[in-house]
Parts: sequence; structure tokens; C-alpha cells
Amino acid sequence: MKPLASNPQYDCVVVGSGASGSIIAAKLAEAGQSVLILEAGPSRDLKDLISSQLWARQLKWSGSAVEEEGNHKIGHGFNAGFGAGGSALHHYGVWPRLHSNDFDILSKHGKNIDWPISYETLRPYYDEVQADVGISGDAKAEIWRPKGEPYPMPPLPVFAQGQVISQGFSAMGLTTAPIPLAINSVPYKGNPSCVYDGWCDAGCPIGALKNPLVTHLKQAILAGAEIRYDAQVTRVLTDKTRQDIASGVEYVDRDGHTQRVRAGRVVVAAFTVQTVRILLNSVRANGVALGNQFDNLGRYLTTHAGRTVFGLFSDQTDPHLGPTGGQLICHDHYDDKTAIKDSFGSYQWLIANAVKPNGLLGYANSRPDIFGSKLQPFMAKAAKHLGNMLYVGEDRSVRENRIMLSDKTDKFGIPVARTVHNAGPEQDAQMAFAMAEGEAIFRAGGATEVWTGPRAPIHIMGGAVMGSKEQTSVTDDLGLVHGTDNLYVVGPSVFPTSGAVNPTFTVSALAYRTAEHLIKTG
Amino acid sequence: MNDLSRRNFIASTGIGLAGLAAGGALLSPRQAQAVSLPLKTLTKVQALTLGALGEALVPGALEAGIIQYIDKQLGEPNTLLMLKYLGVDTSAMPGFYHSALDSARSLSNRLFKKSPEALTADEALAWAENIAASTDKEWQGPPAGFFFFVIRADACDVVFGSSAGSEALNIPYMAHIAPTTSW
Repeated sequence: MKPLASNPQYDCVVVGSGASGSIIAAKLAEAGQSVLILEAGPSRDLKDLISSQLWARQLKWSGSAVEEEGNHKIGHGFNAGFGAGGSALHHYGVWPRLHSNDFDILSKHGKNIDWPISYETLRPYYDEVQADVGISGDAKAEIWRPKGEPYPMPPLPVFAQGQVISQGFSAMGLTTAPIPLAINSVPYKGNPSCVYDGWCDAGCPIGALKNPLVTHLKQAILAGAEIRYDAQVTRVLTDKTRQDIASGVEYVDRDGHTQRVRAGRVVVAAFTVQTVRILLNSVRANGVALGNQFDNLGRYLTTHAGRTVFGLFSDQTDPHLGPTGGQLICHDHYDDKTAIKDSFGSYQWLIANAVKPNGLLGYANSRPDIFGSKLQPFMAKAAKHLGNMLYVGEDRSVRENRIMLSDKTDKFGIPVARTVHNAGPEQDAQMAFAMAEGEAIFRAGGATEVWTGPRAPIHIMGGAVMGSKEQTSVTDDLGLVHGTDNLYVVGPSVFPTSGAVNPTFTVSALAYRTAEHLIKTG
Repeated sequence: MNDLSRRNFIASTGIGLAGLAAGGALLSPRQAQAVSLPLKTLTKVQALTLGALGEALVPGALEAGIIQYIDKQLGEPNTLLMLKYLGVDTSAMPGFYHSALDSARSLSNRLFKKSPEALTADEALAWAENIAASTDKEWQGPPAGFFFFVIRADACDVVFGSSAGSEALNIPYMAHIAPTTSW
């Protein structure tokens, strides 16, 4: 590689060790490049992944505060990770692909914005990732699945909860299929198969659920990439004479000292909010932040609307068994984004999630109206007879939903992030439709009591969106920040729209594509 | 206050008794409750209020160590409290609990002319329902209904969020790596 910046210490510095950053680091290091990963949080090992809803909270964001506003706040504290593996360390391994109709919404419907690529562009990278990482599923049963190679592993088993709820879907004329999961149903590439204990949220210490500690972060380090933990990157540095060239980054180390590192390329992979925060804090001599020459940086912030339907069934469901992400999936409402009156967008059902008694997603907190002496009988019944499924709704991509810098600063004197996110009436209409459908499904499946949780934000995307025009986006289709020669963004922040599927598979496919480009042009 | 007299209640919280501060991190909630660790972030009065409310919402929370759990976690930089998921920064958490517990105590005194630890079971239930309804105009701090949700969730964490809690529900805990302490 011929570095662009003068006197680089590394060919590439990667900010963040989550799903996308680990992929870039692994691919480049394996190609012989010198790579440094800077991770804001602590080092973690598989032995740190303790099976507890309480201890799982240590995996979540513990860095600088994030201010949140709006009628559908993004839930940064729940969605963002902290430390080795980033958010992918606690993710549930639900890996469906975006559909073809997710990429051209503006062109087809005059809403939101378009992706600069099509599904067909991304398809070979989806296929490559799933072969490398391993996905369990049944491609034929997913009648809505876009074209692609079949999964390398058979689906995970469906337990009693899934069997009971699927009867409701069948009675309503709806289709279910095993969820495509980045979880081993059989041993795969040195990692064992799942034991179905429902502790995905706490991180999988056996590596059956593919987190970066057993996939690309491990590969990166084996290939020679260096990683520094507790290294909070504050800004991207630019060349003194050419401000379109990133020369490295500035960060605060674990002792509170400001450090600088020079690199030929800079890849920011710090998850959605912190990626934008770092770029907004990277101001050129002309007073404009990198990538913000058209005031697009931070805009088009999206989060999926998640809402759980709960029910008590006369049949025993054993809801503690299986993966946290669920056992079955339904995309019957995905391919026609205009099918529901007054609504717009796709949605999916993730069905029969393994659930624990406590915690934000636990069944105790699904019924805050029950307390005192009435609580124990409810808990005893729910422990054996609860069913639940999660609605995941597509967000709108609008400029008003955004990430900015606050007037407040963190302990290092760096402005913290402030986010504004509001759902619109079309999202409200879709969710209302889905909740009515969910209740009907549960009743058809034999539920004797049905209730729903509150709307919750799940996944955070956008803010540094990719696009074909500099005037309406922050990066090009490979993540290269407009107006720069060697600064890249990877991760969910580049998503122009959210779709209605869990993002990590798409994050990984996009990172594979960017890594391929970086190696070819290195 | 269920079957606890005020004297028994205060004794059961362990507040005011000498504890084992140095060894606290290695103790389970029940162990911590048993040895009555000294408080780090809550006042004695706030702890009494917390114990009374936690027990009213989730029977068993007091014995399971809700006071010590919250008191300890409020002092941790990477806290285990569920409040972390609900948009409250770690630095603001002590103020969140302190102000709301003070308001809850004031409400009890105004409703029943009793401190929370002296309430009967029916009074404690009515007190909790009032907090949940967010109707107290003199309430200071976070919204009362939100505080109710948080304390109830904390109480559920200490009662149900352990292998003992699972066993009580007759379901297997199935840990890959079991926690050495519940919190």
C-alpha cells in the first residue's frame, strides 16, 4: 500500500472493534497491511460473558453520555455496546437480509432516500459472509427471501413456544420459517453448536453465537492487527497541507493522556452515534466538519420500532428455552410497503424469543401493573406458559431525525452527542395494525390472555449515510467520506434507510465490500 | 408492612449495623443483607424508604438485598442497574434515586402520617399505587410513574435475577458461566 498521509505509523487505523471494524481490521491485516484498532471500551474475553441479565449490562455503552430527545428516542444505552466486540458482542445473531425493495424507496415511492447500490450489488457479499461466519436457517422455508446461496447449517430446533405460536400464524393464513441465525445448529469452523439456554443477551461464551471475539476480531489479532483498549477517539486529524487527506486520529488513553497516531487510511467504525460525534468534532480549517460540507452529517438517523406481544397459553411453552432473538420469522408484510392504510414501510415478526424472568425484556417487567401479592402467581404461570414475539417496523429516513453535538462536554472536554428522533404517523399506523394482528395471532393460537409492551427503539442506523450524490449524503457507496481521499465510515451509520430487518448481517456484507476495495486500492 | 413491625422491619434492613465493607463485593444479595453492609450512597432514611417500597412491590426484595444492591451499584462507574438502559446517565443516577425516595417518603407521611417502614400492608399497597399513578403534585425528581417502574424492575432483578430466583419459579437457570455474585 502507498499511504496517502506522510510518515504513517500504520497503513490503517480502525476506530471501533465491533462487527464492521473487526472485519476491516481482519481483512486488511490478512492482506499484509499494518492495522491499529482503537477501542473506546475495555478488553473483554469470552470468560467475561457471564450468564446474568444484570451482568449483561456491563457489555452496554458506558462511555460519554448521549442526550436523547423525541417521541421515539433511540435507546443508546440499550443498543450500543462498549468494549471488545462492540454491540455485536451482545447482539442476538438474527441475520435476515434486506430485501430488494429496501434499496430504492425514493425512486419507487417518493419517500425517504435511496441507497446508492442495489440488493444485487450486495448479494455476493451476503453469500460470502454467511459462508465465513455460518448461518443456520432454511432458505426454502423463507418464501420471501431474496436470492442467495442456501444457509450452510440447518435451522435451529423449534421448541414448544414456537410450536404453539406458529399455530396462530397458520390459523391466520400467515407464513413462518426458522429465523436465519448466526448461531450454530451444528459445530461450524471450530465453534460448538448452541445449547439453547437463552443467554444470548449476555454474550455467548462458547462461540455458538458469532460475536467478534470468535470471528473477525480474533482473526484480526491473529493476523497481526494491534488493538488498544480504553482509547476514546476524539477526532480525525487532517494533513497540514491537504485537508482532504486524513492523517490519523487523536484519542485519549486510559490514563487520560491525549495521544495521536498517524495512518495512511482512517476507518471510523464506532457505531452510529459515536461515529457521527467523532466526525462532527473533526473540524477542518474552514470550520466545517469532515463530511459535513452539505449539512448531511448526523441526519437521517433511524431506529427500528420494536414492540412485543405477550400472551399466556394453556399449553406449556417453556419460554426460557431457545435463542433470545427468537425461533421463527414472518416476512409476509415485507414486500409491499404500501399495503396498510395510512402507513408506509415493511415489518417483520420475530417469534418465540427466549425470555428471562427479569430485565428490560423479561416477563416481570412486561406487566408493571402487577405487583405485591399478585406478582408471584403471575410469575409462576408465565415461567411455564408465556409466549412472546417481537414486531420490528421500518423507520422513516428524514433529515429532522439527527445526531448533533451538545453544549455539554464529557470528562475529556469533548462535546457529547445529542440525538433527536421522532416517529411519524405512518409508523404509528403500521404499529397499530401490527399490534392488532399480533393479538389476533395469539388468540388464534390459543392464548387466554394477551398484552403488549411499549414501543421500544431497537438498532440505531444512519447519520453518515451513503449515497450517489455528495449533496445528499456523507459517504459514497464504499463508505469513503465525500471530500476526502482516505477517510472511510463503516457500520450501520451508513444505512440510508433502515429496512425492517436486524442490521448486523448487512453491516457485515457492506464491510466485506469496503474491505475488498481497500485491499484492491491499497 | 406485611407482618413486619417497624422494629422488625428496621432490623431486617440491617441499616445501622456494622458490616464487612472490604468483603462486600464477594457477597450475594442475601449474604449482604445478612451481614448488613454499611451504606455508601444512600442515607439511612432513603434506604428505609427503598426497602419498604421494594418489598411492597416485589415480596422478598428486602431479604434479597435491594437496599445493598442499589446502594452499591450507584457507586459503580459501569453500573448493573437497569436504569442504564432507560436514558439516565450514570452520573445522574444517585440524584434520580435520592430525590425520588425523598418524595416517596414525603408522600407516605402526607397520605398516612407514617413513615414508609411503618405502613401496614394495605397502606403500603395504596402508597405504591399512588406513586404508580403519578398524581402527587408535590413530587420532586423523576416522574413518579417512571420511578415506580424502575424500583419494581430493580426489585425483580434481586428476587428473580439469580439461580435462586429461577429455582423459585421452577425453571432451570442454565448458566454458561455462572456469576460468582448476583450483583
